[in-house]
Amino acid sequence: MAEAMLRLNGIHKRFGELEVLKGVDLDVAKGEVVCILGPSGSGKSTLLRCVNLLEPPEKGEIFLEGQDICKGPGSGSGESSWNLDFVRQRVGMVFQQFNLFPHKSVLDNVTLAPRTVLGKSRAECDEKSKALLERVGLGDKFDQYPERLSGGQQQRVAIARALAMEPRVMLFDEVTSALDPELVKEVLDTMRELAAEGMTMLVVTHEIGFAKEVGDQVVFMDDGVIVEQGKPADVLDNPREERTKKFLGLVLER
Amino acid sequence: MSEFFNQYFNFNVMGEHFGDVFVAFLQNLLVFAVATALALLWGLALALLRQLPGRKLMPIRFLTITYIDVFRAVPILILILMISGGVPFLTFLPQEVRIPHWFGRPDPFWYGIAALVMVYGAFTAEVYRAGIEAVPRGQMEAARSLGMSHFQAMRHVVVPQGITKIPAPMLNELISLLKDTTLISVISLSEAVLVSREVLAERLNSSALTLTAIFFLVIILPLARVVDKLIERNQLKIARGSHIEVA
Repeated sequence: MAEAMLRLNGIHKRFGELEVLKGVDLDVAKGEVVCILGPSGSGKSTLLRCVNLLEPPEKGEIFLEGQDICKGPGSGSGESSWNLDFVRQRVGMVFQQFNLFPHKSVLDNVTLAPRTVLGKSRAECDEKSKALLERVGLGDKFDQYPERLSGGQQQRVAIARALAMEPRVMLFDEVTSALDPELVKEVLDTMRELAAEGMTMLVVTHEIGFAKEVGDQVVFMDDGVIVEQGKPADVLDNPREERTKKFLGLVLER
Repeated sequence: MSEFFNQYFNFNVMGEHFGDVFVAFLQNLLVFAVATALALLWGLALALLRQLPGRKLMPIRFLTITYIDVFRAVPILILILMISGGVPFLTFLPQEVRIPHWFGRPDPFWYGIAALVMVYGAFTAEVYRAGIEAVPRGQMEAARSLGMSHFQAMRHVVVPQGITKIPAPMLNELISLLKDTTLISVISLSEAVLVSREVLAERLNSSALTLTAIFFLVIILPLARVVDKLIERNQLKIARGSHIEVA
């Protein structure tokens, strides 16, 4: 087994009375693509948000490149600790609603974080960011504003924006769910390429086809726990658990 | 009827005292300019303090909210009287703070500005807050997930977007502020209302007060139109999907 890029141990998270994660364990090897499936409310998005400490877990350990990111100064508060810098500069995230910065051009969307967080010069960033936009097939859109782009294009800019911080792990939170059907493919293609280049990826998705084709590991979550996990062919074609069978049946029926 | 017109619209009185009232009105404008600049900064600071994240900073948020609540409730007139009557006796402060004559302006000028900034800082903080809270949560989350600190995200992502949503309510506050500069007359700053009342005492005629009111109208009416234009332009830009300018 390859070096563990990410290791989750007994992750618990509650929002008030509601326990969203009830002890999740997960190992993600370097370069591995893990697809997380499950019904809404199963905690899969919360799990992603725990990994980059947008929602710090209450209990459990998260090791990123061997470093326990839930320990240390400021842990648990989710604010201003060396953990946050360590995590956020190594973990990129792409959101369902894109969340591009509407008041900034496409290029500035991509360069803002490297410039403000890493203190890089604009010239240095511009060149690299244009290359990144080229890579997601939007090299000619750098001076546009996000509103001018289609949803698929916006989502690809969001991917480029996350890549600009040179993350080791990328989190994708239902990134095609808000897209018109004909725009889904261009985003999935970009993710395919990223996976082929060896990026470690955690992908929350309802795209069974994508999970089967690109995923190295598929995780099925329900009610805050991992119900079943394994090779895509095993979990998706021959699910052992009743809940997995039921869910896949509902998804594939569409 | 003619007595009323003579009392309030005597053009002879207006003409003879036009210069005095105008110079005094410039004092109102100067107070307005200084107080506006400071109140906009102080209000933004308060709004940002109010938005600080995390459990540890709760006391700061609580203090900020208390400040905003208290100073929106205190009548400015009372605050002006308290500051001008109280600050000179705060012996732990240096002389030039207790009785300030900075930039050649008399102490009532600065007492008045202090009161206006304290109160309008609280009001503008609430306007900023409305703008900040109108920015979708995902913007802050995206910025934070890219490694920006809370402050960097506020500065580069949230506040620039929030500010574009508030020019109209903000200008309403500033129009109020401009009118409230007349309250400083109560501590004998030679601004337009005080000078007009001196004219009233001398001539037993109120037309100088009417003239002062006209000065305010002349300044404030166009401002209202400016707001309309700002809003219109912003909406056009949003409709065209192009860059939203940050005021």
